[in-house]
Amino acid sequence: MILRTENVGKTFGAFSALRNVSVVIPRGRLTAIIGPNGAGKSTFFNVISGALRPSEGRVFFEEREITAAPQHALARMGIAKSYQITNIFPNLTVLENVRVAAQARVSRFQIWRSRAMLAAPLHEAEALLEFVGLTGRATFLAGSLAHGEQRALEIAIALASKPRLLLLDEPTAGMSPEETRVFMELIVKLARERTVVLVEHKMKLVMNISDHVIVLHHGEVLAEGTPDEIRANDDVKRVYLGQTQRAGARST
Amino acid sequence: MSQAPAAFARVADLCSRHRVAAMIAFFLVFPWLMPYKALAINVLILGLFAVGFNLIYGYTGLLSFGHAAFYGMGAYGCGIAIARYGLPWPAALAIGILLAGLGALVIGGLSIRRRGIYFAMVTLALAQCVYYIAYQAEPLTGGENGLRGVDVKTISLGLVELDFLAPTVKYYFILIFVALALWCLSRILESPFGAILEAIRENEARARACGIDVERSKLVAFVLSGLFCGLAGGLKAMHLSIVPTEVLHYHTSGLVVIMALLGGMGTFFGPFVGAAVFLLVEDQISLFTIHWQFFAGALFILFVLFFPRGIWGSLTHRIGRT
Amino acid sequence: MGARREEEVRLLEGRAEGMATPARSIMASAMAGITLELLALQAFAGLALGTIFVLLAVGLSLIFGLLTVVNFAHGAFFMVGAYFGVYLFGLTGSFWFCLVGVPLGVGCLGLVVERILIRPLYGRNIDYPLLLTFGLGYVLVDLVRMTFGIEGRNFSTPDALRGSVSIGVGDFPLYRLFVIGITALILLGLWWLIEGTRAGLIIRAGARDPEIVRTLGVDVSRVWLLVFALGTALAGLAGVLAAPMRGVYPEMGVPVLIEAFVVTVVGGMGSLLGAVVAGLLLGIVVSLTSLVAPPMANISMFVVMALVLLFRPTGLFGRAGLMG
Repeated sequence: MILRTENVGKTFGAFSALRNVSVVIPRGRLTAIIGPNGAGKSTFFNVISGALRPSEGRVFFEEREITAAPQHALARMGIAKSYQITNIFPNLTVLENVRVAAQARVSRFQIWRSRAMLAAPLHEAEALLEFVGLTGRATFLAGSLAHGEQRALEIAIALASKPRLLLLDEPTAGMSPEETRVFMELIVKLARERTVVLVEHKMKLVMNISDHVIVLHHGEVLAEGTPDEIRANDDVKRVYLGQTQRAGARST
Repeated sequence: MSQAPAAFARVADLCSRHRVAAMIAFFLVFPWLMPYKALAINVLILGLFAVGFNLIYGYTGLLSFGHAAFYGMGAYGCGIAIARYGLPWPAALAIGILLAGLGALVIGGLSIRRRGIYFAMVTLALAQCVYYIAYQAEPLTGGENGLRGVDVKTISLGLVELDFLAPTVKYYFILIFVALALWCLSRILESPFGAILEAIRENEARARACGIDVERSKLVAFVLSGLFCGLAGGLKAMHLSIVPTEVLHYHTSGLVVIMALLGGMGTFFGPFVGAAVFLLVEDQISLFTIHWQFFAGALFILFVLFFPRGIWGSLTHRIGRT
Repeated sequence: MGARREEEVRLLEGRAEGMATPARSIMASAMAGITLELLALQAFAGLALGTIFVLLAVGLSLIFGLLTVVNFAHGAFFMVGAYFGVYLFGLTGSFWFCLVGVPLGVGCLGLVVERILIRPLYGRNIDYPLLLTFGLGYVLVDLVRMTFGIEGRNFSTPDALRGSVSIGVGDFPLYRLFVIGITALILLGLWWLIEGTRAGLIIRAGARDPEIVRTLGVDVSRVWLLVFALGTALAGLAGVLAAPMRGVYPEMGVPVLIEAFVVTVVGGMGSLLGAVVAGLLLGIVVSLTSLVAPPMANISMFVVMALVLLFRPTGLFGRAGLMG
């Protein structure tokens, strides 16, 4: 168990986005958090990644309470995230994007020596670019990359802080089916060495690759278990049946 | 876009890789490019002021409207040390710099927050507060008449006695400090911390998620910026032999914003270009009208609308270098 | 203030002049016996001072809340309002005409500024509109200097509003009472506009989420245009109201801009209630400080701001939406 939430709730004014969410994220596995749009997935993601403070309840990372911890502290503890809307450093080179993320782990206020003297972050960045297949783009400005490449860069930046827990928020949004397939292979590769939590609303995508699934609905946990258990779950079928029918009618 | 001749491209490349040396070389001959030496001296001093501001705005992305506080604290610190306590100029300059850094720590501590929407307003207000305090503290600062008696007539450097009152001597003396400051700035920008500042400017939220303590880093950058501006202020005090209250006023804070934008933010040489252009424009226009502020303001508006990269920034952007 | 009170205060100030430190000023006041009535009168004067702050801060907050633009020309619009008042008064001799004409005129100027200068900057770096209004401030000040000269102008209190009125604890200038009254009316009108009308609903919705307003078919840029005009009109009105109290000179916008910023930070950006409370509070603080410890009067509002920044950084009523 790497991350645990205890009765987490989040309200925005009168609107209650999350209610009584208590889940356990198993270590070393790929966990998917699914649910229809508006289920509270993004809110929950933001709470466990430190971007939002819950209105009630607590969050524990490796048994340390992180409910009120500032975001930058979480990265240092070993939690990294990628964003739903691509969030990179547009006017820095692709290499520098990853390098500065790797450097952030080891250096805080070194103002005198040259950054080129720090060999480790540079090597790590090069290795990561290789891993996500962006070596050829290393000297390009990050803002000039194609959408799929930017998503890959996102992952590389997230990996640069050597996280034990990697949080991905709808990483395949806006990708073509081919790009999605390649990306999903990457995610499975990642999950072998660390815990990965994936937030997705495309159920089919994640059921085949996840070890553990959490279903959210209207801000509450509807079901939790292995993909098979979830597939057999009546509540889930009821909630999603309408969704898949509509989706089926629209897709080619 | 026309192809730059090969020689020019080689020189440009050399300059961008050894920018501090290139700038020093340029400034060695600069006085002869200006109509008169005092203008060249002002360009150096105000340029240094703008360099300090550029660190926090151009490189970190924080728009401060209160930087006159640090320029002024440097000026008053140095000036008071010399005029009221008779300290030698090296100690006075150091005091001015340290006072400015301390001021930056306090003002930065109050204005740098998680939600930065108030930053411009708070820095403006706090700097004006410093202005009012200096205005009131008449026995120390001379009140509304300014501080008089910041007399530095000769500079002894070991065996050599320099006549500080001679404009040429003054210029090269000040250039030594400007060169040192630029060298320090270059190192800071090249450092790992410099990379952090760039990341913060590019995408603050992302920087935070990477583990960067954004608020703490901004504060460090703010204090460093204050130190540079304090040095500029101290040099100004020595140059003028008086410290006018205007050094702390909103207009001076606005001045440095104008110079930085005109020249080009986020570039190394831009602040000096901005200072030179502004001072030349003010100098020439006040020859035939007292309403030069109108032209300065209109020029500034034009730049914000059409040339936000500034003169040097637009130039280097076209040539493709920083 | 009654003649006797004025005498007392003048004596106080005279004695305090030779003394530099705040401590001695406080002692001087204590010696002369600051009565509760004097304090109450001074606090009331602070209300009058505060209402000008409020009008400015409300305009600033409206513009920021909706357009996310910090209007650095706000003080300049205030100054233009005062001068436009001088001009209209010279033309018509009617202060009441000025009260209507000035906000209309300054609002029109605001319309033009938003349309031509600020609109091109939306979508770019969020600092650019701020920078532009900053430059605009300089342009407006020198334009006024070119038109009206660099010396100040006199704007005497309109005849109908001269003299003092008894308010229980003493005599208070009628004009200042009028300013308090008219500001209260305007605030009520604003409140009705924002809470009770469809236009106000659009403004509130637009402050929270411009996208929603757009999808509802409302022209967001039109809303922004009008809100900017409204904000600057309020600044202009504040200028003409303040003219008899503060005098009219081209540089009058600078201290006022800073005051508006301090009030906004203390009250909370985007909150109209915050602007009102903070404006009145700071007016009273400054006024009382100038009685009890005159050398500290100028910096008293910054002390309050510093305290707010330390203990409640988003402002007393700071929140994302309007009318929070």
